[in-house]
Order: sequence, then structure tokens, then C-alpha cells
Amino acid sequence: MSPVLLITLPILLPLLGAPLAIFLRRNHRLQSYFALGVSTLALLVSLWLAWTLRSQPSGLVVQLGSWPAPFGISLVADPVSVFFLLMVQLVMWSGFVYSLGSKEYSASYPTYYPFFLMLSASLSGAFLTGDLFNLFVFAELVVISGTVLTAISDDRYGVEAAYKYFYISLLASVMLLLAVGSLYIAYGTLNMADLARRISESPDNPYASLAMIFLLAAFMVKGAVMPFHFWQPDFHTAAPTPVSAMLSSIVVKLGVYGFLRMSTLLFLEADALAVLRGVLIVVGVTGVVLGGLAAIGTFNAKRMLAYSTLAQIGFILVGIGWGTEVSLAAALIFSFNHSLIKSAMLMIAGYLSSRAPVKGATFTNLTGLGKQLPAAGVLFFLGSMALAGLPPLNGFISKFWLFKSGVEVDRLWILGLIGFSGLLTLIYTLRAFQKIWWQADETERQVKKGDSLLAPAFLISLCILFGLWPERLVELAHAAASWMIDPAQYIALVLGG
Amino acid sequence: MNLLMALAVGTLFGIGMFQILRRNVIRSAIGMVILSNGVNLFLLSTGAYDGVVAAYTTASQQISDPVPQALILTAIVISMGGFSMVLALLYVLSVRYKTSDSDQINELKY
Repeated sequence: MSPVLLITLPILLPLLGAPLAIFLRRNHRLQSYFALGVSTLALLVSLWLAWTLRSQPSGLVVQLGSWPAPFGISLVADPVSVFFLLMVQLVMWSGFVYSLGSKEYSASYPTYYPFFLMLSASLSGAFLTGDLFNLFVFAELVVISGTVLTAISDDRYGVEAAYKYFYISLLASVMLLLAVGSLYIAYGTLNMADLARRISESPDNPYASLAMIFLLAAFMVKGAVMPFHFWQPDFHTAAPTPVSAMLSSIVVKLGVYGFLRMSTLLFLEADALAVLRGVLIVVGVTGVVLGGLAAIGTFNAKRMLAYSTLAQIGFILVGIGWGTEVSLAAALIFSFNHSLIKSAMLMIAGYLSSRAPVKGATFTNLTGLGKQLPAAGVLFFLGSMALAGLPPLNGFISKFWLFKSGVEVDRLWILGLIGFSGLLTLIYTLRAFQKIWWQADETERQVKKGDSLLAPAFLISLCILFGLWPERLVELAHAAASWMIDPAQYIALVLGG
Repeated sequence: MNLLMALAVGTLFGIGMFQILRRNVIRSAIGMVILSNGVNLFLLSTGAYDGVVAAYTTASQQISDPVPQALILTAIVISMGGFSMVLALLYVLSVRYKTSDSDQINELKY
């Protein structure tokens, strides 16, 4: 396939599939299988793209409308983007599989699948685009489709959660636009490669630091990083299960991607970079501690997992903050593994809540139900081990690489942090496990028919697979990290110099 | 022109920020619109009025920069969509909670 098709199809397929799926709204079964088919195709194209990149490690670039690079919009498939794209399409695919087997009322809405496809398209677009303003447009599309999917939730608080998220995200978009405007005044371009070149030529433009602060705030809100995380637990609790699994695993990675591009491409001047990395490490460590402690204090399985996302994102930010090649690779490995584990765990929580006599993921509601659902127990146990970072699951691989990069930059406190967070994770996940599977159910309730366990089983088996054979993943992450270390490669790729 | 633009952007930002911090959800939503209009004006002031004639014409005077105009066109459309979304959500909220006080829309605690 030509590079143009390879790069645009992961965006175009779901983007065109969404309106087509609306036409199929009369036949819900056909619509859902159509959406799954589109998602499968997008996943296959992303895999093909990753395969092509093996033989062509310098990346691919498409100038939309054949406008030359700094003037038009370029779609860039460098190792970093493709890594994130693979992650998004893989987890999105499992989300579609879960939606197919879901008994939730919101999944039978005629606009459910179109917006799910839209989420997929906008996320792939945000990771593939090489233009800052285009990133804003795709990020806004992510926000709108996420909000719609949450507002139609079966949970009666869905609208409240959706409003909170939408409002905060609109503020974040204002920040992003201010950053775009500041960069345009200062450097007269919005192409990220061109911006990187011009910022490195005249780094002391006062607008550059202004833009850095605005971008930092915007990506912190998008990634639910510590001081701006307050909307995230509400939102992930109230969303329909397949949606909350997507939001808590791959939508927050948009912020991570933004930080990666900021600290390895855009703001490379020593002082600014020191500030940026310092902020990332501080909010990361605070997020790890706060997220773990807050997850212990929750009474709802989904909310517990949402707070745990806060802690896991904290680790990723620490990896980005150190900024060495190994630590960037560790951050990428951590992102990938976290999205697999967290989406699987949220799907299991949703599976339980859909089978409970009274729907809902609160612990009072789920206590003692596990006796009748042993398969989910095995998956939940494996998932919590992966979340805590115990071998032989993939959580161990990510924490191992983070520790290794910490040793290289002489930051041995990371071992204490990993241990502390692992302990907290074990406390809260095993408390949930104990309540649901070990505690007796006094009222002798019967479980009803509910969601299918296929998608979480698929994701957990991927977790085991990547825990036992992580070589391919580590290789991909290292290729991406060594690509990020040298921003001149990205600039040369996009601008063709 | 620059001073006028700066004053207008500043005023819009001030009013918008003040309204956003209010307790009434409808007022704060309107504050959001004012704020996003302030940002749109800021984008316009990044260079749309540097020249005297429109871009891509045969006139020989200094042309104005077309990029900020393209940017705000997109930004206006997005903020319009976003605001209509906010209004739709506010409608459902007002039906369910029977209030516009943001302190009383707080049932999502755990």
C-alpha cells in the first residue's frame, strides 16, 4: 500500500465509518458488526504501518493536499506516533468487542457506535498529526465524542460527570488555543517540526515560555495529571463500561503524548527543559502517592481504578521527566502496558456491575457476588497482579524498565516509590477481590445475565503474553525512544531537509 | 489597532474569567463563550491585520496573513459546537436536578 493510504486510513476508516454507521441505525446488529469491522480494518492497517516502519525506520510522512511541509498539514508516522497508534487501535478494538457483548442500554443507542468510531478516528488523528492546530481540532473531537458517550450512560449521574469533563476540557482547549496563538506570534508557523527548528534558533522569545506554560496546563487537563485530575474519577465512574475503559486507558495518553512531544521536540532550550522536567517529576511523584492513597479510600470498583490511573500516569511522567533514552522507552512501555491492564480491569468491573442484581459498581452492591462468577475472579486477580507490577505479568516489565532507567540516572528513590505504589495497589485491589470473591453474600442474591467476558479475557491474555515475551514491545519502545532523543530526525523527516 | 485589540482581548478575558467563577452554571457557561471569543480575538490579533489587502488577490499592496483567519474560522466553529453541547447538557441537568446552582449538582461523590 502507498504511504498516503497507510497513514490516512487509520483516521479515515473510522471517520467515514461513523456517518455510514448512522445510516445503519435501523438494524442495530448490523450496525455493531459494521463498526467492529471498521475497527478491525483500522487495526490491521495500523499493524501494516508498524510493519512498514520496520523496513523504513526513518518514518513516513504525508503532506495533505500536496502542500509542502510548513504550509500544509502533515501527517507524520514516526516510531513514536505509530507506537501510540497501535496502542489506541488495539484497545479500541477490544472496546468494540466488549460493546458487542454488552447488555447496557446506552450501547443500543443509534449514535453509540458512530461516536465510538469517532473517538477512534480522533485519537488516531491526534497521535498522527504533525500540526499543532490540527492536534487541537482532534483533541476537541476526542472530548466531544467522549462527552456524548458518557452523557448517554445508564448511570443516572452520567450527565453530571459529562458536564464536569466537558467544561474543564473546554477550558483546557482555551489554553491550547492560547498556546497556538503565542507560538504563531513568536515563530509564524504551527507545523511541529518547523516550530522545533525555529524555537531552537531563537529560544529566548518571551512567547515561547508563555506557550510552554499554556501547553503544560492543557495537556495536564487532558492527561488527568495530579492538580487537574478532579474531573477524572467522576467521569470514569459514570461512563458506560466500554467507554470508561477507553477513557481511562488511551484517552489520558493524549496528555502523555503531548508531554513527550513538548520535552523531546518543542522546548529543548536548557532552562525551559529543566523547568518542564522538574514539573513533570514533581506532579508525577505526587500523583503516584495521592492516586494510590485515594484509591484505598474509595467505595466503588470503577472509581478505585480511575484513581489508580492517576498513580500509573504519575510513573509515566517520572519517566518522561528524567528524559534519558532508557527512561523514555520505559515511559512508552509503561503507557502501553497500562492501557492494556487498565482497560481490562475496568471491563471486569463493568462485567460485575452488569451482573449484579442492582446495577452499579459500588462494593456494597458487589459484595459476595463473585462466588457465582469464578472466571471473572481469575481475570481480576491476574489484572491486579499486573497493576501492582508482579512478575510474570506485563506490569512487572514496565516497572522493571522504569527502575532500570532510574538506576542509570542515579535516582534510586524510584525503587521506594515503585514499592510503595505496588503495596498500595495490592491493598486496594486485593481488598476489592476479597470483598467480591471471598466474602459471603448474606442475602443470597442471584446474578442476572450481563456483559460478556470475551474482551477482558483477550486483554488479560495479552497482559500475560507481553509479560512473558516482552522483547518485541521493548524493541519497539527503544526504537521510538532513540528516535525521540534526536529531534533533528523528526525535523528532517517532515521538512525533507 | 494593536492597543484596541489588546484592550478588547483583555476586557473579554476579564469578563469571561469573572463569569466562569460564578456559582450559577448558566452564567459560567456564558462566561466560557466570552472567554473563547476572547481567545478567537487573540488569534486574530496574531497577524490578520498586518497587511492592507486580502491574500490571494491581484492587488500589489502588502497582503494580510491568511493563516490566523483560517485558524479562527475553525476555532469559532468548534467553540460553537462546544457551546451547543454545553447548553444541551445544561438542559438535561436542569431537568434532573431542578437547579442551576453548581453547589447543588454534586451527587457524584463515590
